Amino acid sequence: MVLPSRHDPRTLARQVRPISWQLFGSAFGLSVIGLVLISSASAELTTDYVSRQSVWIVAGVLVLVAAALVNYSVLLRHAFWIYLASVAAVAAVTFFGHEAGGARSWIGIGGFGGQPSDFCKIATVLLLARRLAGYRSPVPPRGGLWATVAIVAVPVLLIARQPDLGGALMFVPVLAAMAAVTGVSVRSALAAAAVALALGGALWIFALQDYQKDRVLSYFRPQADPLGSGYQVRQSRIAVGSGQALGKGPGEGTQSNLRFLPTPHTDFVFAVLAEEYGFLGVTLVLVLFLLYLGNGVRVALAARDPAGLLLVVGLLAFIAGHVLYNTAMVVGLLPITGIPLPFLSYGGSFMLFCCAATGLIIGLDLRRFVNV
Amino acid sequence: MNLETPGHEHSADRVVLLMATRLKRLAGSLAVAFFVVLSSYWYLQIVRSEHYWRLAENNRLRVLRLEAPRGLIHDRSGHLLVENVPSFRLLIDRSLSADLEASLVFAANILDRDEEGLKESLRRYRGAPRDVPVLLAEELELNQVALFEVAIPEHPEFEIAATRRRLYRYGDQAAHLLGYLSEPTAAEQERDPTLVAGDMIGRSGVEQLRDRELRGTAGERTVVVDSRGRIAASEDVDRTDARAGESVTLTVDLGLQQEAQKLLEGKVGSIVALDPRDGAVRAMVSSPSFDPNGFAGRLDQEDWERIVGAPNKPLQNRAIHNAYPPGSVFKIAMAVAALADGLIDPKEEVYCGGSTRLYDRRWRCWQARGHGRLDLRGALQHSCDVYFYRQGRKMGIERIARYARMLGLGRRTGIEFPAERAGLVPDPEWSRSSRGLPWYPGETISVAIGQGPVLTSPLQIAVMTAAVANGGFLVQPHVFEGGARPPEPTGVDADVIAFVTEALANVVAAGTGRTAGTPIVQVAGKTGTAQVIAQATWTRSEDLPFEHADHAWFTSYAPVEAPELVVVVFVEHGGRGSEAAAPLARRMVETYFGSPVQT
Repeated sequence: MVLPSRHDPRTLARQVRPISWQLFGSAFGLSVIGLVLISSASAELTTDYVSRQSVWIVAGVLVLVAAALVNYSVLLRHAFWIYLASVAAVAAVTFFGHEAGGARSWIGIGGFGGQPSDFCKIATVLLLARRLAGYRSPVPPRGGLWATVAIVAVPVLLIARQPDLGGALMFVPVLAAMAAVTGVSVRSALAAAAVALALGGALWIFALQDYQKDRVLSYFRPQADPLGSGYQVRQSRIAVGSGQALGKGPGEGTQSNLRFLPTPHTDFVFAVLAEEYGFLGVTLVLVLFLLYLGNGVRVALAARDPAGLLLVVGLLAFIAGHVLYNTAMVVGLLPITGIPLPFLSYGGSFMLFCCAATGLIIGLDLRRFVNV
Repeated sequence: MNLETPGHEHSADRVVLLMATRLKRLAGSLAVAFFVVLSSYWYLQIVRSEHYWRLAENNRLRVLRLEAPRGLIHDRSGHLLVENVPSFRLLIDRSLSADLEASLVFAANILDRDEEGLKESLRRYRGAPRDVPVLLAEELELNQVALFEVAIPEHPEFEIAATRRRLYRYGDQAAHLLGYLSEPTAAEQERDPTLVAGDMIGRSGVEQLRDRELRGTAGERTVVVDSRGRIAASEDVDRTDARAGESVTLTVDLGLQQEAQKLLEGKVGSIVALDPRDGAVRAMVSSPSFDPNGFAGRLDQEDWERIVGAPNKPLQNRAIHNAYPPGSVFKIAMAVAALADGLIDPKEEVYCGGSTRLYDRRWRCWQARGHGRLDLRGALQHSCDVYFYRQGRKMGIERIARYARMLGLGRRTGIEFPAERAGLVPDPEWSRSSRGLPWYPGETISVAIGQGPVLTSPLQIAVMTAAVANGGFLVQPHVFEGGARPPEPTGVDADVIAFVTEALANVVAAGTGRTAGTPIVQVAGKTGTAQVIAQATWTRSEDLPFEHADHAWFTSYAPVEAPELVVVVFVEHGGRGSEAAAPLARRMVETYFGSPVQT
């Protein structure tokens, strides 16, 4: 039973402990580092990305606090409707949305663009958490694993259709992590992987645009197309390697300032970091991410209910997936696709997603003594 | 398709505990993944950092060449003969063109060129990045430059680049002397690493001889560029200025050179003028000529073939690259040879009846009615062939050859230009080794009047004449100021030279060279009319077809008292020396000695 008094903000404030502060602190620290890097990377650009990102950070803090105050069990209870609404929004922009960077994924909000797919990420995790938690209850939910896969497949296909391959791809580790924690059998996991592969094949043939195929192919032979996507990998690696141990110094990154680096303020912001602050800066930021994720995991471990635990795992999987893919893509370990770096990359709705996720995790931590 | 068999206990606590265990394992693999990512940054930033640092520097820094302006070429009085003038090139940045087709139509209109031709020149750059400006046209007129500059708001794809072009101010008037430029071949670029494509190097004449000095040294500028190759920093990272090529001053007299070219217009031949005191060339002209300005740009294959394949070989410098029978101008050498050993008494007279019979053959004098009785002086004055036939037989080929060589014939004069012809002074030794034939005594008779196998270049005749004019010294012709070598004594006695000098003055005063006489200054000279083919029948030269017509020669110097200028005129198939060559020599002398020309 829920005791309303336990959800009173004043009661909650007393529950704030070092884990939450560290979560908030690392997220905020990463956002500030991102702001510095964006200011360096966009020095030559006409748009004032620094001011915009500052606005997003402020909005993000508000969203974080709000998300921490919302009772997540209420959200879980209405997860299906939240999910439905967000999928509808994604479907709407997919077919009628504003086109930017070759993808229909944007809605405009007073001059700032936003992507409903970022909102859809949280909704999907909510629904997945609720459903997977049910497997351990005496009355398992209907539809079995297939229905679970379908929950992920719908937004993935819609987002891939936009086409935002990276955004779609990021749902995969989320499902995998949540299923693993739930304890899906190896057989089921293999079956799901086989289905995913088949789905991927279908995607390759029917949904992917030629430039996306080129990107994936160029990952396997970067020299083939020096001015295409292979060129981007190459320039990004040069930026990283030339940063050496201590970096070229703030604002001194030649690869980013002279525009050899593609999209230095968004997807390749980590390359700017590597170039200007060297291996030292890279290590510092990765340690901050580990701190963030580690504290997130501690929150999950302290959770009292399976749904809450799975919710945190799903949100962390989203953040960790973005961090690992983005940092690996910058050095050419993975094909280049539009996957931003949480907290550091410029981008409004993605920043709000990260903050909302952080807020939900903190909210869970605050309610760790609450029985669901 | 099933989840693990649910445990007996479905309590939330038990489930959460199980999930936590799995989550810990998952967190472990997450840490490993982070470690893998960090290791790859370690590899790039620590292990391979030098490599990537270099690549970043290569990206950022571009070395631009600063072209060295080529040295100028002046005449002896400082008149500019060759200079560099601004030249405008049209570049196009295809990435900035909204409609390439329309851009080319626009450019073709201004350039007054065919659009297809422009398309053709663009085709060479098909593989190049589209946002790097490429060459569309060269040598734009100023008004075309203005039209493109005005159009830049609507046509930002066009860009005008200023470079330098070599200008030969007097076009074809000194082409053989000055030479021309062209781009270095791949092999030449390999041999000389300072050369790059687009450079120009001297191909003939002074441009080739002094190429190293004229070329100067290119400089270098290291700049910071962005990914589109645009200069991104106002200050250069590094800069070595170009060193301009050295200027060259020639011994040539522009006025005289121009006059010589004008005199040979429409004719085939050569005029050489030099200072007999030191061999400084004052004029050297070969006709037909060519315009080296045509070469300074990029000559297309068609133009090149037109010039190389033209009749009368305009690229050949007839003053040094070809040798011809000297005809009667050879009688100067004959006179020296006759007197030098005291073999012939200059007062000894020979009767000329228009022909003479030697070695069972009739040898004709050019004057069919004969000259009557003549001594050496008279024979030179009237250029009597019979006199020299008879004395030549007496002198013998060895003596003739020896003195001809002492006067500089039969060997290269040593002028700076390459590929000079040595000509030929024949003797029995040459006949045996080169022809494999014995020397026929009759050939000596032909050589005595400058016919038969003997061949000389106009410049050799000038050197021979200079030796007479300067009192017996061989000069080395040269075209560079300060390039004089001390004249070498020929070994011919001064009184022999004095006799010939006096006789040659008489040729112009009262002999075959009267048409070279001028009131301005006293001129000495000798005419020559060289037969091109052995004439079986006596036909007047004017009636022969051009390619069989006689070559006209005239060699002269002035003033007689203190000679300053030797002028040799050679007109291929021009007819008689007295008619086709001597009047041109007069104009040269009048031009040089400065008084208004009276005709």
